[in-house]
Amino acid sequence: MSHGVPRVSGTATTSGKSEQARAKERQQIEQYKQLEGDVRARISAHDYSNASLQLTSKLLSQNPEYYTIWNDRRRILQHVFEQELGEGGKSTTAPQQDIDAAHKAGLSLPQREISLLIQEDLHFLLPLLKQFPKCYWIWNHRSWLLRYATSHLPPHATLELWQAELGLVSKMLALDSRNFHGWSYRREVIAEMEKLSGSGMAEKEFEYTTRMIGTNLSNFSAWHYRSQLISTLLQNRRADSEQRRSTFDAELELITRALYTDPYDQSLWFYHEYLMATLDSSNAGAQIILHPCTDADRTAYLSQELDSIREMLDGAEDCKYIYHALLQYANRLIGLGGHGAPTAEMKEWLSELRKMDPLRARRWEDLETKLKL
Amino acid sequence: MSLVAGPGRGGALDGQLPDELQLVAEKHVAYIQKLDTRRDELEYHLTEHLRLSGIYWGLTALHLLHRADALPRDGVLDFVLSCLHENGGFGAAPGHDPHMLYTISGVQILAMVDGFDELEKRVTDGKRKIADFVASLQQVNGTFAGDEWGETDTRFLYGALNVLSLLGYLPHQRPNEEPALIDVKAAIAHIKACQNFDGGFGVAPGAESHSGQIFTCLAALSIAGELDSYLGEEGKDRLGAWLSERQLDDSGGLNGRPMKLVDVCYSWWVGSSLAMIERLHWIDKKKLATFILQCQDPVEGGVADRPGDMVDVFHTHFAIAGLSLLGYPGVGEVDAT
Repeated sequence: MSHGVPRVSGTATTSGKSEQARAKERQQIEQYKQLEGDVRARISAHDYSNASLQLTSKLLSQNPEYYTIWNDRRRILQHVFEQELGEGGKSTTAPQQDIDAAHKAGLSLPQREISLLIQEDLHFLLPLLKQFPKCYWIWNHRSWLLRYATSHLPPHATLELWQAELGLVSKMLALDSRNFHGWSYRREVIAEMEKLSGSGMAEKEFEYTTRMIGTNLSNFSAWHYRSQLISTLLQNRRADSEQRRSTFDAELELITRALYTDPYDQSLWFYHEYLMATLDSSNAGAQIILHPCTDADRTAYLSQELDSIREMLDGAEDCKYIYHALLQYANRLIGLGGHGAPTAEMKEWLSELRKMDPLRARRWEDLETKLKL
Repeated sequence: MSLVAGPGRGGALDGQLPDELQLVAEKHVAYIQKLDTRRDELEYHLTEHLRLSGIYWGLTALHLLHRADALPRDGVLDFVLSCLHENGGFGAAPGHDPHMLYTISGVQILAMVDGFDELEKRVTDGKRKIADFVASLQQVNGTFAGDEWGETDTRFLYGALNVLSLLGYLPHQRPNEEPALIDVKAAIAHIKACQNFDGGFGVAPGAESHSGQIFTCLAALSIAGELDSYLGEEGKDRLGAWLSERQLDDSGGLNGRPMKLVDVCYSWWVGSSLAMIERLHWIDKKKLATFILQCQDPVEGGVADRPGDMVDVFHTHFAIAGLSLLGYPGVGEVDAT
């Protein structure tokens, strides 16, 4: 689950180390243990001072996987936030410029303080996140800060914070377009922004996936996200059956073009399968695009796609995904009453598949039994 | 127990592997035994936040290699119980905060070393306290958080069901206790909401299918007794197709998602998932076993994620568990959930 085990680069293993290197390592261990001991002792003594916060920063920068220290950091922040909220009366002693700034931002003085502290902490996380983009705890801490803001600051201030998060997560996904922490965080950000602003963002997000796919066709994470957006999009548009059909056709066209570019990319076939699954009423995980969707629609689309995929074989006769798709869709056609289902061809496709894909030989054996060809 | 990477690399000797690859079981045992002697390495200290899971990984590997005696039971018990908090949760090491992840490891270790009696001896109502901790993390929508700070993930949901099942505190194990400790129906409804059109499951509703998450969701369904009825043969075929495509032609290893790199740990996540849906024969077991063996360090023991990388106990455990699923000679049998 968590790939927490650090990779040591180079040859930094015990056996090959010089005495000098060992001495240096001993010193590093001592410093690390001292810093750790210091942080833990302060937290045990409920010392939630700024100095303690700074020490957690230092320790977490060395070891962002140390989850207990992230908890300690939140203990400190929570304490500071609560103090701010509990000290409303102190505002009279605040400098005039702070009072003005808070007023301008539409916040009370404590709210402004909290907002600044949260922004400072988000800022602290940035370089860590870039260095350790797969560290669960860093993403968690970000999420915690944003959730705290959401429950303690007015919506307009919180929305600004979430807006900035959307920018950040887009940058992170530009650096690694498959980072599932990034995609999960993006879903969280969008859900919160939609809640706070009261307006849907499916259209914009759909455009975002178009851009991501345009940069790299093979990005299954982007295709997956797209698959999750379509039904919301159609609902928000209050699309009628014709509009639904034209969206479906446009998606089929997009993926067919992509498949012509690279029929060997399984990400693309999974998206094609996603679209075809929306026609399959027996698939519990499938979404709805066409509505209503009749058996005549199903038959027509299956036949259309069978023809189109058959053409892809030209020049890609060694591509097993093509044979698999053909078999699958032909079988569904049979399930729908089956006129014109190409049984002889199916036998041929299956035998090609078995030749091409010996790794999964027994899966194709099972398929043969199931298809009863 | 150390989680330090190395010292060796998988497939060492500059790729000079013997023609007949062998599981260097004794070397792995020695590798695991030596892990706790590496306190002079900075990484030993930097990975303390994983210690309890490290012991679980090492101990499971030893069990599967029929060398459970290679780590002293008393020492293991003392350490595990020193990680238990008053609230019933385990931390990764003494003084570390309680978290679901380490509570899973702690209870799994106790089950493995037959340590529940010892737990009750040292902590009054120990089992009940742990069960209460786990139950307290269930959320309104049925899923589970990792700790009081609120992160949710299907990993934690599986962990909760697994822990309660090992402790004998699942509602169906205690039909006369009212109210039930957790809402199993809501938990399973949440798992179902995490399923995608491709038959796989993600970390949360809407998230992309991921082999690790598929394992947790299938295991949760299995513990709740709903695996077969929910998936059916069609669902198993669909998911089995996706899972079997994780095996790559060139290396024979498995990846976690489409178009990603292979990694030894998926031998377990994908392999056990295929086993749970009776489709393990849909991949080439021999090629997978060869890939796993190529990731070993044949000199100093331990297994890496891929040939050429540093070995570590996490991958050593999943490699051996993977070989166990494949029925590799000399490795004990494992329960896929």
